[in-house]
Amino acid sequence: MRDVALYAGRRVLRAGVALWLVSTVVFVVMRLSGDPVPLLLPPDAPRSEIFRVRAELGLDRPLPVQYVTFLGNVARGDFGRSIHFKTPAMTVVLDYLPATIELGLTAFVVAVLVAVPIGVVSAAHRNSPLDHAAMAVALVGQSAPTFFLGILFILLVSLKAGLLPTGGRGDWHYLVLPALTLSVFAMAYVARLTRSAVLEILRTDYVRTARAKGLSETLVVAKHTLKNAAVPIVTITGLQFGALLGGAVVTETVFAWPGMGRLAIQSIYNRDYPVVQCVVFISAALFVVINFAVDMLYGVLDPRIRAR
Amino acid sequence: MTGMTRRELITGAAAAAGAVAVLPGPARAQTTQKRELIVAQGGDIAFFDPHMSTSSNDIRVSFNLYDNLTSRHPDGKLYPGLATEWKLTAPTTWTFKLRPGVKFHNGDPFSSSDVKASIERTYDPAAKTRVSTVFSTIERIEAPDPGTVVFHTKKPDPLLPARLAFYGGQIVPEKYLKSVGPDTFNGKPVGTGPIRFVSWTKDDKAVLEANPDYWGGRIDVDRLVMRAIPETAPRVASLLKGEVDAITQLAPDHGDRVNANPTTRMIGALYAGLYVLAVNSNVKPLDNPLVKQALSLGIDREIIVKELWRGRGIVPNSMIAKGDNHFDASLPPLKYDPREARERLKKAGYKGEEIVIETTVGYTANDKAMSEAIQAMWRDVGVNAKVEQLEYSVRAQKLRDKSFKGLWWSDPTSTLSDPDGMFWRLLGPGGPQDYWRHARFDQLGDAARFSVDEKFRAQAYKEMTQIFLEHFPWVPVIQPYEDYGIQRYVEWTPNPNQQFEIRRFNFRFRRA
Repeated sequence: MRDVALYAGRRVLRAGVALWLVSTVVFVVMRLSGDPVPLLLPPDAPRSEIFRVRAELGLDRPLPVQYVTFLGNVARGDFGRSIHFKTPAMTVVLDYLPATIELGLTAFVVAVLVAVPIGVVSAAHRNSPLDHAAMAVALVGQSAPTFFLGILFILLVSLKAGLLPTGGRGDWHYLVLPALTLSVFAMAYVARLTRSAVLEILRTDYVRTARAKGLSETLVVAKHTLKNAAVPIVTITGLQFGALLGGAVVTETVFAWPGMGRLAIQSIYNRDYPVVQCVVFISAALFVVINFAVDMLYGVLDPRIRAR
Repeated sequence: MTGMTRRELITGAAAAAGAVAVLPGPARAQTTQKRELIVAQGGDIAFFDPHMSTSSNDIRVSFNLYDNLTSRHPDGKLYPGLATEWKLTAPTTWTFKLRPGVKFHNGDPFSSSDVKASIERTYDPAAKTRVSTVFSTIERIEAPDPGTVVFHTKKPDPLLPARLAFYGGQIVPEKYLKSVGPDTFNGKPVGTGPIRFVSWTKDDKAVLEANPDYWGGRIDVDRLVMRAIPETAPRVASLLKGEVDAITQLAPDHGDRVNANPTTRMIGALYAGLYVLAVNSNVKPLDNPLVKQALSLGIDREIIVKELWRGRGIVPNSMIAKGDNHFDASLPPLKYDPREARERLKKAGYKGEEIVIETTVGYTANDKAMSEAIQAMWRDVGVNAKVEQLEYSVRAQKLRDKSFKGLWWSDPTSTLSDPDGMFWRLLGPGGPQDYWRHARFDQLGDAARFSVDEKFRAQAYKEMTQIFLEHFPWVPVIQPYEDYGIQRYVEWTPNPNQQFEIRRFNFRFRRA
């Protein structure tokens, strides 16, 4: 038990450091990228107006002072007021979070439900036509740009077949195409990885022993292989989940899905420092939490890791 | 089929064919029973408070939630809005009579104190609006009785009624705004306009409904939904599929698809402004008028309009946009003459110095493509032209520092349908694009700004045009169309300045 606590404690500490580094990098990069004030005001605004707005936003203070204030506020969960929306940045971001989670989670579930069985079946029937076909499709899925796939789905499924809406957020009809588009890359990736992970285990001695003692192939794969192949599969799917939550910018834009990715892009264009900082922080926090969960899962799946 | 004679069969078939001819499939889609108008635009709304934004995505809604004292109709003329009449009662005094019996959406009566409070709010430093410079000519405002407003200007201002028609001029309810504060007001806006606010889901949609008591008559639909669909292709797809009734910002290369589809069509209004290459005339060799004349002569604008804009634009003839006051229709479009361009470069003593176009990608439509086309055209006449790419924020920074290396894209909007709110606002002394000065030009521009004598103003702008065409502080390239895609059952005349006004006189659904 002490092992587990120590293990968890170390992970929490690492997560904290990661979040601090991420917020610092965003802070610096945003300030390197230019001044938001000219974008906020009409082009013919007088200089005095520019100075007034800059002071109002606290951008006239020296950088180290801004940084210390920023860190102190972040620690209290306060990212400042959005320059563009004029409301607290956290409130703005939290408004967008449910849509992102809805889309990311659905895409993740779809990806895993499709990819893991395909990977396992492909591995079990290595070099069969089924295996070749599945891996060829996976390769295409992994190479096709999301943008292209999204537009293709809209043209074929929505416009030609008239089946689903072209975009926006509403009941489940609206979720199908964006979730599918978003899941394709992860699906292909997880399928290929599952296949190789399972293949590797199938070559081990204990699997040979299991077969030698006359177990059926189904039982060999289900009982002796899957649990052992789970560690790499969980790692990859975990990372993919993080990517799905944070990397939906293109899908959200194509399908007019009101999620955090689009908010991030808009806020970058608007030089809305507080919102960008908050979006990146929340995305990083989600990633860190997922990673943490994956690390904990390892411990459950593989007792050897706990001991390390 | 049994029991049917051959003749009956033939007449039956003919009748069926006739019915098809009368009512072909698409014709059924030319009318509708819908009571809801759904519009998709390229970006989300950021503010419902009209004084907090000048972005086109916001004003498409705010010009429907609120009214101005004066209203610019699609024909380009000023009409009564919340004011029924206005008069210049002294050289620096404008008196407005207000429309009686108008109510805000929350039931509050509209009166002169709302006008005074609204306009004063735009330049009140404490209100921190984004339209603080629109009414800089006003000295003070009086509200002698509920139906009258008197504006005193610092100098004679012939364009005050025009200023009041555009952004900044929307009238907000004084009492409500004071009692709830600006944040709540922005979240639950109240105006006098033809639509009133229902709900808003950020980055998804805003739902609004018809104001049944609108003074200009109830509009032809019960609800208006504004959706944000950022990408052009999905926005067009949503129109073709019939999910939305109208889309904004239809790119020229999608127009054919929209027109080819039997249920949709493209409509447009000539943009109230120009797309120009603004010139930093302080940089050599752009300080030489002959070089700038050569640059203008070296651009084949007809080709640009035809190929890059699919014919959706016209070639300008000066710095005054077609449709504005004092536009001189007798002037020929800007000429393309590569031989003459080479001649003038020689006369200027041009020795192949680098001339840089700094372009954004998509800040104005086709900016990068036009830059590359113009670069090739200029090279053909012997100009050492170079295109460099800029990010939006860097462009904004360079605008402020006035640090452009040569030329850059600008899309000056004519905010008042008058040269004063267009080139003079930008190119005048101390203006945001002040890179070139000419004593006579400045004298005329200043005199025209403060003159209430339209004959004198016409003469002044004529002479300024001549000076402009010699010095080219801008190289005008195109006056494009602002295009929209609509369902064929929509009858709507758009405004030339992105206002997207839905009123009884310019909008209706064709019903069966």
